[in-house]
Amino acid sequence: MADDPAPGARVRPVPFRGGGFRPQTNSYVSLAVFIGLILLWEAGSRAGLISPIALPAPSQVLVALADLVRTGMLWKHLSVSLMRLGVGWVLGSILGILVGLLIGLFTIARAALLQLTSALFAVPKIALLPLFIVWFGIGESSKIATILFGSFFPTVIATYSGVDNVDRNLIRMAQSFGLSWGSIVRKIILPGALPAILSGLRISSAIAIVLLVAAEMIGAQFGIGAYILQAGSLFAIDQLIAGVTILAVLGLAISWVIGRAERRFLDWRS
Amino acid sequence: MALTRRHFATGAAAGATFGIVRNARAASEPVRIGILPLVSHAPTIIAQAKGYFAAQGLAARLVTFQAAEPMAVGIASGDIDFGVTAITGGLVSLADKGAVKVIGGSLAEASGVEGQKVLASNAAYAKGLTSLAGLKGRSFAVTTAGSSFEYVAYKAAQKAGFPASDIVLRPLQTIPACIAALKTGQVDAWEMLPSVADPLVAAKVAHAIATVQDFIPGYQVTTVFTSTANINKRREVVQRFLAGLAKGIDDYDAALVTRTMAPKEIDAIVAAVHKYVFAAMPLAKARAHITHGVMRINTGAALNVASVADQLQWLNARKLVPAGSTMQKLVDTSFVKTI
Repeated sequence: MADDPAPGARVRPVPFRGGGFRPQTNSYVSLAVFIGLILLWEAGSRAGLISPIALPAPSQVLVALADLVRTGMLWKHLSVSLMRLGVGWVLGSILGILVGLLIGLFTIARAALLQLTSALFAVPKIALLPLFIVWFGIGESSKIATILFGSFFPTVIATYSGVDNVDRNLIRMAQSFGLSWGSIVRKIILPGALPAILSGLRISSAIAIVLLVAAEMIGAQFGIGAYILQAGSLFAIDQLIAGVTILAVLGLAISWVIGRAERRFLDWRS
Repeated sequence: MALTRRHFATGAAAGATFGIVRNARAASEPVRIGILPLVSHAPTIIAQAKGYFAAQGLAARLVTFQAAEPMAVGIASGDIDFGVTAITGGLVSLADKGAVKVIGGSLAEASGVEGQKVLASNAAYAKGLTSLAGLKGRSFAVTTAGSSFEYVAYKAAQKAGFPASDIVLRPLQTIPACIAALKTGQVDAWEMLPSVADPLVAAKVAHAIATVQDFIPGYQVTTVFTSTANINKRREVVQRFLAGLAKGIDDYDAALVTRTMAPKEIDAIVAAVHKYVFAAMPLAKARAHITHGVMRINTGAALNVASVADQLQWLNARKLVPAGSTMQKLVDTSFVKTI
């Protein structure tokens, strides 16, 4: 009763002030921006505002892409690249998650590997290419190794920091309920670290695509990276942009797959 | 970005032609010259160190690159004025777009002067790769498709009388990668300048099986080039640059090729070159690298047009350049003597 407004006082309704700060994606807007940019670019090229040395017109890039499809080279390049990416990234991620868990769970492993990982992560793999040739040859293994090393280290770091960030209260609670060590790892630590691991995979997949070009510097006759390198050295910039476009689409595709995986494995969070 | 800068440069050049600079030849004209840290770029370094460009009224600045490709693109975009590189697919492609033109010759194979060599890995040599004929069916390291390495492989096949497609090309992008692959026997053969090839042979990690000048006589290995804009708008500057470079070439020749120069002067030249080439080594150690296996550079930057035409014809046949790339688009022969 004490909270009632004094008689005669005006009651001001309080509007709902929550909500907002939740940017959503709108596929129509993204598509419109994308198409608008391409049209602007094409118009700029046709009007001569964009020099043909600086950027090829989108239509020329399309012609280069069509040539790739027509000659059947697209599949040839794509299949070898996907194989290298797939094997290198999957192996690098599995090893990275394993080592990351070791560092996250065991004192000895942390002491032994943490500094080593941080040091090796910073080493540019491209600088080691001549050595990779000596160690792994110029066949597939050196290309896969480049991608493997590139995706391994970010995964290790994402995994152990994910383990480190698992809510300690949950672990303490499980311990007080008498759960076994294995059970805690399986039921609390792994699911708790999964968001960090998945975002680590998102980053390492992008790094793997970046390194594809570096990997195919070594004696590759086919592959999207080799195609881009050759286009660059011949200054065939329509082919160069065509190759880069393929890589970008590849990046989008992998990011979409990981997005699906996140939704599938992390639905317990909502 | 590039566009704005180019427009700005055009504006500046137009302003310059209007004003005082036109009659005063002594007034310094700024030029940027791209070099690679290789002995074959020494004439530019010497001309700069000895003030030959300054004597031509040029305020030259040397810009060091690590590969020829970005240098060619830098000239096309107007960031650099002059450069020296091999005739590659990239250069011809830029020339076809009307951006750059070859204006003179530089490094060349000359009889009587040590030249490039074809190398075989130890493993391949042991298995009988001892002459050009043995290259059939073997792997050959190249940096990229359309590079001078691939041209040499093609000419070697032609000389030995089998189709060039019988050589398996292995693009390895960089020279260190080519060396690593040859040393470990992962490629059977490679081709290189004597300054790199000879130490490999001396260290017994490779065998020299042929000299390039035996099957590509007079090979114009590298050429001097500039932007088409410079040729059209600053013709006189191009001429002055070549005049300065020619004096640098004379000194290079006397100091490093024929070695007719006084020892003291040679020392000065080596020291000047060392500022850019093998700069990470102490001078005493770098000296041997700088003075060993130095190839001839054409006097007066003369251009072997027939050799360039042969290379262009090969690039066209390999379809590594835009269809219809011609000598007219690639070369401007009005600046130097032609051979």
